[in-house]
Amino acid sequence: MEEVKVKKINVVYLLSYIFVPILVCAICFWLSAEFFPKGNMAVVLLMGPSIISILWWIFGGRTIYKQRQKKLEKELNETGFERNHTFYGDGCTVVVDVTHGKIAMAFFWNPFQNFILPASRITKTWVDDGKSGIGIMEGSGRVSFLFNVDNVKIRVNTFTSNTRWRMDSEYILTGISKADMMVNVLEEARSKGK
Amino acid sequence: MGILRKMRAIFHDDWCSQCQATMEEKNRKLYMLPMMVGHYTSHKQADYYKQNLIRVNKKADIPTGNYACGMIAYTCPNCGHTAVKLSIFLPVREQEKFEEAFLFENGEMDSFLRE
Repeated sequence: MEEVKVKKINVVYLLSYIFVPILVCAICFWLSAEFFPKGNMAVVLLMGPSIISILWWIFGGRTIYKQRQKKLEKELNETGFERNHTFYGDGCTVVVDVTHGKIAMAFFWNPFQNFILPASRITKTWVDDGKSGIGIMEGSGRVSFLFNVDNVKIRVNTFTSNTRWRMDSEYILTGISKADMMVNVLEEARSKGK
Repeated sequence: MGILRKMRAIFHDDWCSQCQATMEEKNRKLYMLPMMVGHYTSHKQADYYKQNLIRVNKKADIPTGNYACGMIAYTCPNCGHTAVKLSIFLPVREQEKFEEAFLFENGEMDSFLRE
């Protein structure tokens, strides 16, 4: 079991994800301007990297993240980790083994490192229903459950929206229910892990 | 769920389908459904509920994230017709997220009620 500190973001990966395609495009644009100002090669050098970069930014991260989720699950199955609850968040996947008091995590921005650790390392768990506004304006656009591991705050969204929903809307209630359930599960695992 | 069924479930499930008299509530019970939030599947067959409903005394006994099912048994004082209404909902803190309701009027749930 890894005893390393939880790291949500791999800065090298994050910067590479953003800037490597930009760099490749810049080099291709320079090559085009310098050596192939006209013709088919110019089109290939200008359009190809741009299209590939956009596709990479849209699908690349998700594809890697999904593959790492599957790898984590496979790894957990091989190590006898009982996957009692799995929550697939958009930025973080949390798997809880209540029986043995363990948790496993995979992060979108740190996909090449999975974390499997005792749930006793969780120091705090809570739900953020995102409620804001007053009166008829009261509502939320995000519900999440949060927990601290080694003083690192991990937020996992159970509902997100670009519009604000009433607190009694079915989306918000479902999000709160999922978040409450995950907090209970994490607390149960934490008590078992002690 | 169709809008008409939804309206009927909300307003007039206690009307007798035979003589249109208001039926009497004979029994009201609360159950837990072994389904978690995010994994709800609609089941229209009474057999599913007979096999899977777990009796609880109050909402607080239902684990967070589990669906609940409220059961009301009706009897018509005029013609003796019986009906059972099942309301499936997700308890969320002090609130309830209504999922759907079913009305069984042909004695499908009678054996379950006798248990």
